[in-house]
Amino acid sequence: MASFRYAVAVWTALGTLALSPIDFALAQTPKPGGHLNVMLREDLPQGFAVHETSTISTSFPSMPCFNNLVIFDQLKRTESLETLAGELAEKWSWQDNYKNLVFFLRKDVKWHDGKPFTSKDVKFTFDVLREAPDAPAKLRINPRKDWYANVEGIETPDASTVVFHLKRPQPSLLMMFASGYTPIYAAHVPPASYRTTCMGTGPFKLKEWRKGEFVDYVKNPDYFVKGRPYLDTLRYVVIENRGTRMSALQSGKLDVSFPGEMTKTIAEQIKKAVPQMVVTTVGQTVSDNIIMNVKKPPFDNLKVRLAVSYGIDRRGLIQAVHQGGAVPGASLPPKPWGIWGVGEQGLLALPGYGKAADEKAKARKLMAELGYTVEKPLKVEIGTRAIAIYVDMASFVINELKQIGIEATLKQVETAQWHAMATRGDYQIGANLTGIGIDDPDANFYENYACGSPRNYSQYCNEQIMKLIDQQSQEVNPQKRLEMVLALQRKLEEEAPRPILDWKLDYFSHWPSVHNMIPQNNIYNYGRMQDVWRDK
Amino acid sequence: MKTYLAQRLGIAALTLFGMSVVIFVLLRLAPGDIVDILFSTGGYVNPSERVAIEKELGLDQPIWRQYMDWLRHMATGDLGKSYRYDLPAWEIIKPLFPVTLELATLSMIVAVLLGVPTGVISAVRQDTSLDYVLRVLSLAGLSMPSFWLGMVIILALVAWIGWIPPMTYVPASENFKLHCIQFALPALAVGYRSSALITRITRSALLEVMREDYIRTARAKGQGERTVIWSHALKNAILPVVTVIGIEFAFLIGGLIVTETVFNLPGVARFLVQAIAWRDYPIVQTLVMFTAAIVIFSNLAVDMLYGVLDPRVRIGGG
Repeated sequence: MASFRYAVAVWTALGTLALSPIDFALAQTPKPGGHLNVMLREDLPQGFAVHETSTISTSFPSMPCFNNLVIFDQLKRTESLETLAGELAEKWSWQDNYKNLVFFLRKDVKWHDGKPFTSKDVKFTFDVLREAPDAPAKLRINPRKDWYANVEGIETPDASTVVFHLKRPQPSLLMMFASGYTPIYAAHVPPASYRTTCMGTGPFKLKEWRKGEFVDYVKNPDYFVKGRPYLDTLRYVVIENRGTRMSALQSGKLDVSFPGEMTKTIAEQIKKAVPQMVVTTVGQTVSDNIIMNVKKPPFDNLKVRLAVSYGIDRRGLIQAVHQGGAVPGASLPPKPWGIWGVGEQGLLALPGYGKAADEKAKARKLMAELGYTVEKPLKVEIGTRAIAIYVDMASFVINELKQIGIEATLKQVETAQWHAMATRGDYQIGANLTGIGIDDPDANFYENYACGSPRNYSQYCNEQIMKLIDQQSQEVNPQKRLEMVLALQRKLEEEAPRPILDWKLDYFSHWPSVHNMIPQNNIYNYGRMQDVWRDK
Repeated sequence: MKTYLAQRLGIAALTLFGMSVVIFVLLRLAPGDIVDILFSTGGYVNPSERVAIEKELGLDQPIWRQYMDWLRHMATGDLGKSYRYDLPAWEIIKPLFPVTLELATLSMIVAVLLGVPTGVISAVRQDTSLDYVLRVLSLAGLSMPSFWLGMVIILALVAWIGWIPPMTYVPASENFKLHCIQFALPALAVGYRSSALITRITRSALLEVMREDYIRTARAKGQGERTVIWSHALKNAILPVVTVIGIEFAFLIGGLIVTETVFNLPGVARFLVQAIAWRDYPIVQTLVMFTAAIVIFSNLAVDMLYGVLDPRVRIGGG
């Protein structure tokens, strides 16, 4: 009991310490004006066409231009239904037992060209996204169409009201609306125009996008939140070389790092060189995982898949590849980095999370039952994307598999080919990274485990799992839903179509003169810059 | 001379044509295309969307037809539209060339200013301690890749004085001082490497010439050592040096990839690599053709310079 009390006291103290920078920043009086230089690791792949891409290299630098209906409170680290804040929607209300969602929109919002924002823009955006039969336009690529599969129709009774009619209850739909991937597009400009320019309602107006160099924003004087934004100008500087990026941050040429960019080692080096640098550890909602093609031998055999999962030492991987900058978890990130993940105790009961030597012994036993040993191994080809963060992880996995009787040869696949190859199922086993747009079971399960989903790279399809996914999606009681989600994660790890190896952490960094730049436990949903200010 | 020039221009046109075929075919033989990349950023592939995009970009046509279309458009001055940026290729490419040309020119100036005098000194003071020092320095320059040197310069600056050059391009018209600072370090890093080569070539060429009879004759006639070296020996030794300068300059136009990346300069080479990674065919094709044209014409300029420097070339008519 004493040790419990001690633990509580320690965690409370740590929690207070962790939260203090935010409280301190909020306590100071914000200063209007100034300029901010923000890190960008590559040029915007599809301009500002957020709805046609799934990369943070597009969504993060586009955030200041846009608004959503709702957004995760940009001053809080955690993303959940409790931290939702209105943006273009002043209020919202669930009706008819979570089958109708009504948004009451702000009436004082203007697009950057001065035209008024109305419910037509909301309907336009979501009709295009869900590819409604009467959608007024079509996206070139629509990666998140599945997020809105449950939307049956959208009504606009007047200019400031929108009603979403759902096929079945889906409380977490609001979470999708709050994602950085869900900005509202203007109905009066073609969606294709976002590839070259940005028409938004957001706190900053696009001034210039110099290709391969920078994106410049200026303060939107007509922004609907009075007194915001604080900053006059923003510049996202494209620096492709990592060493140069870090030197630029360290020398003060950049004020803020890029989400997901700072590894533990780099953050420690920068902190050592610049002790006043503010470094915040947050979750990325990006996992390292193994994809196994369950439609092809030998991974159509559950025993082989389980052996792989048992055989990989998660904690060893975290130390060797990420130098401690990741945490073990199942198919959703664990607390405190996420809301829905299986905790440390629960993980111990799952394949691959126990003591490494014991787990390897289990793996070897399974392989022996199939007639394979270290001396007489099963030979497979492991595919991975030909970039360092993938290859490093794959190399570790190959070494682990060797110890349980699987001899894997590495096949590096160019970025251009990787997703197409994985979607086609043109591989045996792969070392993969998966980012989830929001920390919500629906966004993850329907995308990565549902039958027929193009991102279900394992080609795994289990009717029982599908039922469980649908059930949790409709559950309105959060506690009950959490229990269902935990059970579902356990089941998925026991079926092992896509064993999760770890959830990566980010060491988000900025200079102390920058305030209210609060990173969240998901790299995709922050960066609106509305409340950010600086004291120099 | 006119015949010679016409011949060289004819060869240049043929080379450009050959380049156009090679780059066009090679790009399309490489696995993956822009549609794959677009889907990569989307994280999934939808076959019907794929077909629609291929049609939109004309990638559903046979290669020979795509090539003919490209040539036809090039002939009318239409360089195509960037797949990635959805903008005319020329609009994207136009600002890149001045940056690369400036960096290459400044690097060559640094290289010549460093390389020729040190080569001469090294030759004149052959086998002295000064010669050994200069040879070691030139060998070090050849051994050190300029991008590595660039990275070391940046890391050293940030570690020692907490400062690095500007990270976005500053045009000379906007801030001349900052512009010079921005180009000085990469020009030094690249120029040092090129100067090492020039030093070695100058030294060996000069040593060879210094043993010629006419040098002995000049000395016997009582001319001062300075006149002998700079007016007689160097003038005759400079031809191979000019060749090297021409080759180096041409190499730098496309070879500054990593230096431009390390110093974050928006030049041709850095952009070309990105365009290749994106399979942005119109951009790659245009950049390669322009780079090839610059290389061909800089070689031509060197050949013309031979005529100026060496009367025998003029008399021989090539």
